[in-house]
Amino acid sequence: MTSSSVLSRFYPTPLSVMTSVMALILLVLGLSLTYIQLGTDLPLTRQWQLWSGASPDSFEDYEYVYARLPRWVMVILVGMVMGLTGSLIQQLTRNPLLSPMTLGTSSGAWLSLVIMNIWWPGLVESHGATFAMGGALLSMAMVILIVGWQNLSGLPVVLAGMSVNILLGSLATAIILLNDQYARNLFIWGAGDLSQNGWDSVLWLLPRLVVVAGILVVAPGVLTLLRLGHEAAAARGMNIAVLFLLLMIAGIWLVSSVLTVVGVIGFIGLIAPNIARSLGARTAQAELLVSAGMGVVLLLVSDGLALYLSQFTPELIPSGLTAALIGAPALIWFTYRRSVTQEPLFFSMPGGKQHFTRRRLMVLCLLFGWVLFMSVFVRMMNQGWLLAMPDEFIWSLRWPRIATAFAAGAGMAVAGVIMQRLIHNPLASPDLLGMSAGSVLAVVLAGFWVGQFDTHWGPALAFSGSMLTLFVLLVLSRRKAFSPSVVIMTGIALAALIETLVQFALIKGTDDVYAVIRWLSGSTYNVEASEALFLLGATSLVFGCVMLCHRWLTLISAGRSVALARGLEVNRAFALLLTLAAALCALTTAIMGPVAFVGLLAPHMAAMLGARSVIIQLSVSALLGSFFLMLADWTGQVVIYPAQLSAGTIVSLIGGGYFVFLLMRGRLSQKG
Amino acid sequence: MLIKDSETINTVSQSGSSAYERFLDKRASITEEKQRFPLPYAVMLGLVFWMGSLAVMAPEVSADERVPVNRFAGSPVSVGSVNVSSVNVPSVNVPSEPTEQGFIIRDSEKQVYFERPPKRIAVLNWDLAEQLIELEVMPVAMPEIEAYHEWVVRPRVSGEVEELGLRDEPNLERLAAVKPDLILIAHRHKGLQQRLMKIAPVLYFDTFSQDHNNAQASIEIFRTLAKLVQKSSLAEAKLQQMDVRIAQLRQQLLNAYRGDLPAVTTIRFSSLTSVYIYGDNSMPQYALEMLGIPPAMPQPVTQWGITQTRLLDLRSIHEGIVLYFTPFDQEKKLKKSAIWQAMPFVQAGQSHRVRPAWTYGGAMSLRYMAEALTESLLEIAPVPVPVPVPEPEPEPLSVQTAIRSED
Repeated sequence: MTSSSVLSRFYPTPLSVMTSVMALILLVLGLSLTYIQLGTDLPLTRQWQLWSGASPDSFEDYEYVYARLPRWVMVILVGMVMGLTGSLIQQLTRNPLLSPMTLGTSSGAWLSLVIMNIWWPGLVESHGATFAMGGALLSMAMVILIVGWQNLSGLPVVLAGMSVNILLGSLATAIILLNDQYARNLFIWGAGDLSQNGWDSVLWLLPRLVVVAGILVVAPGVLTLLRLGHEAAAARGMNIAVLFLLLMIAGIWLVSSVLTVVGVIGFIGLIAPNIARSLGARTAQAELLVSAGMGVVLLLVSDGLALYLSQFTPELIPSGLTAALIGAPALIWFTYRRSVTQEPLFFSMPGGKQHFTRRRLMVLCLLFGWVLFMSVFVRMMNQGWLLAMPDEFIWSLRWPRIATAFAAGAGMAVAGVIMQRLIHNPLASPDLLGMSAGSVLAVVLAGFWVGQFDTHWGPALAFSGSMLTLFVLLVLSRRKAFSPSVVIMTGIALAALIETLVQFALIKGTDDVYAVIRWLSGSTYNVEASEALFLLGATSLVFGCVMLCHRWLTLISAGRSVALARGLEVNRAFALLLTLAAALCALTTAIMGPVAFVGLLAPHMAAMLGARSVIIQLSVSALLGSFFLMLADWTGQVVIYPAQLSAGTIVSLIGGGYFVFLLMRGRLSQKG
Repeated sequence: MLIKDSETINTVSQSGSSAYERFLDKRASITEEKQRFPLPYAVMLGLVFWMGSLAVMAPEVSADERVPVNRFAGSPVSVGSVNVSSVNVPSVNVPSEPTEQGFIIRDSEKQVYFERPPKRIAVLNWDLAEQLIELEVMPVAMPEIEAYHEWVVRPRVSGEVEELGLRDEPNLERLAAVKPDLILIAHRHKGLQQRLMKIAPVLYFDTFSQDHNNAQASIEIFRTLAKLVQKSSLAEAKLQQMDVRIAQLRQQLLNAYRGDLPAVTTIRFSSLTSVYIYGDNSMPQYALEMLGIPPAMPQPVTQWGITQTRLLDLRSIHEGIVLYFTPFDQEKKLKKSAIWQAMPFVQAGQSHRVRPAWTYGGAMSLRYMAEALTESLLEIAPVPVPVPVPEPEPEPLSVQTAIRSED
């Protein structure tokens, strides 16, 4: 389904460009007037004097001229850039779910800033911007490389962006955890703060915005042609690849500049173009202009809210937070309205062996046994390591960790198999789809509420958070016949919202926050024996249930119509299986924190090894998942001994790296 | 046959309308479905059951953890022997009569009887390690030694101390291998207490808390630790030295400020637009208090004593001095900025930098803090001080200072 048909179906009344732009300008003016007056005691007459060139003398004057006005200008510029680039990217890729946020740029910039602040703090002031931009461009290039630039119109690119986000984000988290004292000042940037101190940042940003003019001149023509499809556009003599690349780079350049100055503020670039289209902006040019205007309006409202709230509290209210609070529900709502029932796949069941032989099973079991052996018997020393029978105490430390890694790996893998078969997309996995995100949100919110992150209530909270997300998902997607896009975008919206909330918690800068980051990185360190046993028991129970339902899974993965024809109550089976997957995911997240990529990779590898029928895929994936997580847990304990990396981090690094490699290879071989 | 909801029917994918009708009509589906077993409901029930059991489990765990509190708290007679290691409840070997050397240590939640002072103490927290080293006792193991040297700076840790890895997740196997006879922990490691007690007895100190005066608590802990390692006289001498030193510094300040000490607030920049203010319950503010200096911008009590806020909020400081801790990467840029320049205290020349100092330390860090702050204050004093502040002679004097009078 092309985006133009989507557009024409849902956005009926085309407005004339002039009318809508005029209306937007009026709206922006009105909002700006309110915005500038928020929390200012300066009388209007004095403001007018300052505008007309009077030199400031009181502190209030200085605040007005050097903090409020530059902030206002910044909001206008940043909002415009976000709206414009959002629209540009969405039109280029013909994908209404894309934005710099979903393409992984902010995590790239975040990672490079973290690296720089820790290892080359002296260069931050002079070269920080360039570095952040490099990171953003690289991560973006990675996403495009994964899916290929012709394949940017579907959901896969969103999932790839999400994977890159998780990969780079976990790398950054690992670095922060190993160097916690250095990273403190970064958290404000991560939370997205528009406060200004003088006009320096505005003046730094302005010359970089020349690109905007270029985009406004060149883009409309190109985008209009692109709507005819790549082939048609090429037939009219357009060098698509070059223009596409140029425009894309221009967009990312703009976004990176903005990111460097104000930090991570998500959602605006994603929502503004969607609003523009729903307002009836049909032509390419109209959409660009109206989106830019909407970006300004949205950011004015978000930042105005932040300003307004900060009158009541001495705490910093970052604009990124208010933007996310407004943006996340809006994103879910827009996805929901968009109701596309099935997305095109670019990626079918991975190639590889057709049958699962006994020999491969033997090899797998051997590998599994090896990891188990290493985790039980290897004892690290200062000088090296030795194999020794663990004594009672060491055993009491080790077995809960091993059991947790075992159960969590198997659980996530099984959840992954279910999700991939339900959503008919081999890129789906429970951690990308908001199940983990829901748990994290619950724990972080409760942390705000109580003011302290309590580990004892954590599991129950995490579990209820996950179940609540599931409930929302089921309610939302039921009426859309469980469309993958609703499921995925809800997950992404939640994940981004949580990211912002976590950053907000982090800017407090006290020692407690590191406990949260550590939990977020998925560590088995704090798991008690009773918790490990509980996880083990509960996971096996759900695994048993899944095995009982295996026929439904087979039928559903054969296709909805096939399943219906065989007399299966598809929707009910779907809801039940989704619940089981969510339960597995919630259990793991509750006990050891979010674990990424296992749910994605284990089913995939199982299929490549030839485990293709449901029962075999379930069992082999579970085995593989346990193997991965146990390996990660063990590696984390030995690789930087005596310090430890959490299993979640290692698994993201190994899994993420392997995943990116796999996708790239698959794409290249497709081409060749 | 059934009620058609046009909207729902629409959303069902292309081929499915007849089967979807079956779905809506329960009776029809029951006759045709093979899976009549009420599995879905059973599973749902199971899920609800877990949630319940999880909720029940959670408080259980926390109650479990408080066992040592209940065993020891409030009963000064019930004492545990430190020799009984690797048991959860070290209250078995109560000696009938305390020997000459035996003594009782009271930590933040219990009392423990020691027959003799511990020799191999492992510390999981920087501030406790700092206190112990100030008492001239090296711990056998502590976490993140390299970073400690970079941030806490002094006192130095000797090269023989075992590294335990990250402060958040100290390596327990390594800790056990070091065979400590006592482990000192603070708030951050409370959850580990049960497991640590299998290695060695544990003393828990609430070093930074919203519910007490952090400085007084650190001095109390200093004394307790001194008693533990039998260095009480050293501790008293050091505390007295600190008092003398602080009285000296105060005198210098009084001279330099013509007998009228200004109010002072200390901050740390976190970006060009936001700052941490060291408020009530922070070590810098206590150091200032000991020097007899009130805060210029009083802040509410918090656990660590810091509050993050907007740079603009500093405008409410009209009278008094603002000192900011270095290092800050963008210090030059910030000092040039119009907003900073417009701050009333900057225009009055009432702001200055303080050399890098660790602000979450123990008792002796109060002295280093006071020295650093005095140094900075003297540099912007109305009466210039030509001679640098001399180090004091370690002579025992009895000078009453601010902190004493509070006791």
